[in-house]
Amino acid sequence: MNPQKVRNRYDAVIVGAGAAGLSTALGLYRALEGKQSESSSSPKVLVISKLQPLRSHTGSAEGGIAASLGNQEKDDWHWHYYDTVKGSDWLADQDAVRILAEQAPGIIIELEHDGVAFSRTEDGHIAQRKFGGHTADYGGHPVRRAAYAADRIGHQILHALWQQCLRQGVEFAEEWYVTDLVVDPPTDEESGGHARGLIVLDTHAGKLQAIQADNIVLCTGGAGRLFHTTSNSWDLTGDGMALALQSGLQLEDVEFIQFHPTGLGHTGILLSEASRAEGGVLRNSQGRAFMQDYAPGHGDLAARDVVSRSIMAEIDADRGVADPSDPDGPHDCVWLDMTGIDAQRMAALLPQVTETIHRYAHLDPTVDMVPVKPTAHYTMGGIPITDRGRVYRWQNGHRRIVNGLFAAGECSCVSVHGANRLGGNSLLDACLFGTRTGQTIAAAMSNADEPNDMTDTSPLAPALQRRQAFMDVLLAGASKAEPTEPALADNQNEEANTGVDADLNNPYALMGRLGRLMEEAVAVRCDQSSIEKGLQGLNQLDADARQLHAHSDTAVLNQEVTAIMEVDNLLTLARAVLNASLRRQESRGALYRSDYPQRDDEHYLAHTMIDAKENVSWQPVHIVDMPPKGRDY
Amino acid sequence: MTSQSTGSDESKASSPDRDPRPVTFRIARFTPRPQSERPARTNPFSKSNPFATTGNRRARGRRWTQEYTIRIAPQRTVLDALLQIKRAVDPTLNFRYSCGHGMCGSDAVLINGRPDLLCTATIADCLSAPKSMPNAFASPGAASGSPQVQQPPAFRRTGTATTTTGVSSSVALSDSASNFTTTDPTGAGPTDPAEATDLTETTGRIKTSGLTKTSDTAESSVVEIRPLPGFTPLRDLIVDTNAMFEQIRRFKPYLLHDDSSADSGQADRTKAASTEPASEYKQTPEELARYELLSTCIACGLCQGACPIYAGGEAFAGPAAMIAAARFINDSRDGHRQERLEAIDQVDGIQACQSIRACTRPCPRGIDVGEEMWKLVEAVKE
Repeated sequence: MNPQKVRNRYDAVIVGAGAAGLSTALGLYRALEGKQSESSSSPKVLVISKLQPLRSHTGSAEGGIAASLGNQEKDDWHWHYYDTVKGSDWLADQDAVRILAEQAPGIIIELEHDGVAFSRTEDGHIAQRKFGGHTADYGGHPVRRAAYAADRIGHQILHALWQQCLRQGVEFAEEWYVTDLVVDPPTDEESGGHARGLIVLDTHAGKLQAIQADNIVLCTGGAGRLFHTTSNSWDLTGDGMALALQSGLQLEDVEFIQFHPTGLGHTGILLSEASRAEGGVLRNSQGRAFMQDYAPGHGDLAARDVVSRSIMAEIDADRGVADPSDPDGPHDCVWLDMTGIDAQRMAALLPQVTETIHRYAHLDPTVDMVPVKPTAHYTMGGIPITDRGRVYRWQNGHRRIVNGLFAAGECSCVSVHGANRLGGNSLLDACLFGTRTGQTIAAAMSNADEPNDMTDTSPLAPALQRRQAFMDVLLAGASKAEPTEPALADNQNEEANTGVDADLNNPYALMGRLGRLMEEAVAVRCDQSSIEKGLQGLNQLDADARQLHAHSDTAVLNQEVTAIMEVDNLLTLARAVLNASLRRQESRGALYRSDYPQRDDEHYLAHTMIDAKENVSWQPVHIVDMPPKGRDY
Repeated sequence: MTSQSTGSDESKASSPDRDPRPVTFRIARFTPRPQSERPARTNPFSKSNPFATTGNRRARGRRWTQEYTIRIAPQRTVLDALLQIKRAVDPTLNFRYSCGHGMCGSDAVLINGRPDLLCTATIADCLSAPKSMPNAFASPGAASGSPQVQQPPAFRRTGTATTTTGVSSSVALSDSASNFTTTDPTGAGPTDPAEATDLTETTGRIKTSGLTKTSDTAESSVVEIRPLPGFTPLRDLIVDTNAMFEQIRRFKPYLLHDDSSADSGQADRTKAASTEPASEYKQTPEELARYELLSTCIACGLCQGACPIYAGGEAFAGPAAMIAAARFINDSRDGHRQERLEAIDQVDGIQACQSIRACTRPCPRGIDVGEEMWKLVEAVKE
C-alpha cells in the first residue's frame, strides 16, 4: 500500500517496517492520540520501507522474547539485567540494560494486547521457555524467561504490530529505497549537526525524490549479507548503518557480529536456539556432546559466541562432519542431535525447525542427526543512540545530539548487547527502544513552539542531483551496451562464456565475493593478518563496484539498480567492520582475535566509535551497578 | 520426448538429487513501458479468460519468454536457481525474494502451472510432481487442445528455442489476445508492429557453457515460471499485491479486545508503558488452538492465485482476506466476532466462495484454507 500523494515534507519519516520501525510508529501514534484534539492538524508521518512490511526479517525470529514475567517459575528483572550485562562481556551500557530488563514485562503485555498469539500455560498465561544465557539468581540455573509463540515469535510480533498500524492509519511507502541521508554538519562545539531529509527511490516508478522531514528514524535492521553464510534475509545489507557513515556520522561497536551456532548445514538458515532449549545436543564426529567440555554446567545453552567458538574448535581439531548433502565436501559442520526429543513434543514446540530441516536438509530430525555450522546472525553494534533513540556523535568525550535524527532496532546501538547479544533480547530491544523513540518524537512534536509547515527542500537539492546523475549513469550503461533485453540475452551469452567478465559487472556476484572475503577475514574469529588481507581484498572489490552499471535501462522495478546501491552500502560497512576489528586488540564476546585471546579491560572497556574516514575514538562503557567480572559459562 | 524420459529415469536410478544437472527455466518476462505513453486498451476477451488480471489496468510494455539453462542440483530450490541466473547469467531478471526459507511470503509465483513459493519449491518437486491443478486452469495450452496435456511437467515437450508450443502457452497466460498471435512471443499482438519486428529476438535463450557442460537441451528438464495469476504483473515475475492487502485491510485485521477501544485502551497502554505492567488477556491453550494455525498466514497470496473465483477476476475479496478475518473471528480475546461475521457476509465476501477448495493445496503454512472458508460459510449461517 502506497500513499496516494507523496508530500515533500513530513513531520516524521520512519525508514524500515520491521519490529523497530512499526514499534516506533505505534509509539508515536499512541503518544499523540490523547493530544490530537488539541492541535488542529494531524501529524504527517510516513513509514518508508524497501519491502512490504510483512516481508521484514523480524518475521523470521523464532525462539522468543525475553522478559522476567515469572509466569512459570520465579524470575526477577534484576537477574535479566545481570545476565544481559554478563552476556555482553561487560561492554553493554548498564543504564540502558537496566531499562531493557525492567521495562521488558510491560512491553510483552503490550504486544499481547496488540494480538500476538503467544503460547500459553494451562492457566492461560503467556508461556515461557529457557534460553541461552538467561539464568536465575545471578548466574544460577537456567530460567524460563523467553516468552514464545511456538517457534515463530517474530512472525507473530511482526504481524500484530503491522495490524495495529493499520488500525492507527499509519501511512506506508512500500518498496521505496532510501539512497541518501542528508545531515548538516555541526555548526559549533555543542552541536552534533542537523538531519534535513532523505533522498528516496520509489522503485515502482523508478523515480528519485527528496523528502524533507523534521524527524527521521532509521530502523533498517542488520547487515548479515556481509557474510556468505548468514541467517539473514537477502535484504539485510546494512543500509541504515551505511547511510549514517556516508552522511558523516559514526558507528559504534560494529566489530561485534554474532554468529548463531546452529545454521543449517551449508544453507545458513537458522535453527532456533529453542531446538537446544527443548533438548537438542551438539555432537562432534565421534558422537561426543562436546559442549559440556567447553561450558560445564551450561553445556548446549551457553552464550552464542561461546557455542560458536566451541563448534569451530571442534572443526579445527578434525572432529567436524560433512554436510550430508555434500558428503565429499569440507568437514565444517557438527551434528545437532534432536533424536532425544519426543516426536510429538517436537511437532508441537518446534514446528518451524522441524519443517526447515525436512525441506532444506531432507532429513528427519526425530531419527537423523542434523548438520549445523555457525551462521552470521546479528550486528550488536550500529548507529549510536541514547536511551531515548536520539542519534549522537561522540566528540571530544561528549555525546553531541544530531537534531532530528533517531534510530532503533538492530541498525542502532544503544548498547544493551555490548559484545554479545543474548537470545530473546533482540526483539525486546527493537520493540522497547522503538516504542520509546516514537514517544520521544511525539513529545518533541507537541513541545514544538509553533508548527513547522515550511517546506524547503533546498538543502536536499545537491544530494538529489548527485543521486540522479548516478542513476542516469547506471541506466545509460545499459542502453549503450545492450539496447534491448532480449538482445542482452544474446550478448550475455557471449560474455558468460568467459565467466569472469560476466562476474565483474554483476552486483549479485560481487556481493557473493564480499561474503566470502568477510568470512575469511573475520567470521567467528580473526587475527591481524586475516583482517589486513580482508582490507586489501576490499580495495579490489571497491574498484570493481565502481564499474557496475545496470543491464536494463528501464528504471521501473529495476532490482539491479537497487542491488548496485546495496553493494555500495555493504562495502562501506565492511570497511568499517574490518577497521574496527583491527583496532580492538583484545578478545571480547563475539570478537575473538587469536592474536589477542584475552579480554583487556584496562585498554578496551570502551565502545569503538568509527566513521567513514576510519577515524576511531573510544567511548567509555557506562558501568552503573556491576563492575566487570570474568565471563565463564 | 523419449530421450527426456530416459534421462529423467536414469537420474532417479543413478544420480541422486544432490548432483547438478542441466535444467531449463522458461520464464515469462515483462518490461513495462513508462506510464501514460498510450491510453489503456480494454480487452474484449478478459471476461472469459480466467487468467485476466483483476482490475482493468493492464500495463503496456514488452512481453516475451526467456529460457535459461543452468546446471543445478535438483534438491536445490527454484529460488536458488533464479539467484544463480541473476548472479551468473542475467542480472536483469526481476523477482521478489527475501528470507529464502518460506517465512516472508514475498516470492509467490506460478511454477509449472502451480502456485508456489520460489524458496520452498525444490527443482526435484517441479520435475516430478504430477499436475494436480485442473488442466484448464494449469495451462491455457490445454484448453486449446495442446497434445502435451497428459504429460507431467517434467516431460513437457521443450522443443527448440524457436518452437512455439511452450512459448505460446505462456503468452496465452499473459495476453488473452493471443488466440491470433500464437507465433508472436512478444504477446504484444498485431496492434504493435514495432514490437512484432522483434519477433526473432524475443525468445531469448541463454546457454552458458561456463555453467553448462552439455548444451544439449534434450537432456535437460524444463521448469516454467510465470507471475502469480490474479495479480497485475508489474515487471517480470513481480506483481502488484496492493489489491490483496487492501482486501485484507477491509475486514479490520487487528485485535479488538472489548476494553481496548478508545479511552480504556489508552489507559491500558499508559499502564503497560510504566514499570507496573497490566496483565495479559487470559487465553487457554485450547482457545489458542482455535486460531493459532490461522495466525501463521504469511499473506503470500498463493491461495488467491489458486482460487478460480479470485484469479478469474470475479468480485471476491479473496481467500487471504477471509483467512485474516477468520483469525480474529476465532480469537477468544476479540470481542467483535458478530460484527466480523456480518462484515464478511457479503456478495463479494464469503458468499462469493464456491467451495472449490483449490486454495488449500498451495498454502505454505499448512492451513486448510478451503475447510476454513467452509467453516466461515457455516458460521455466517448461524
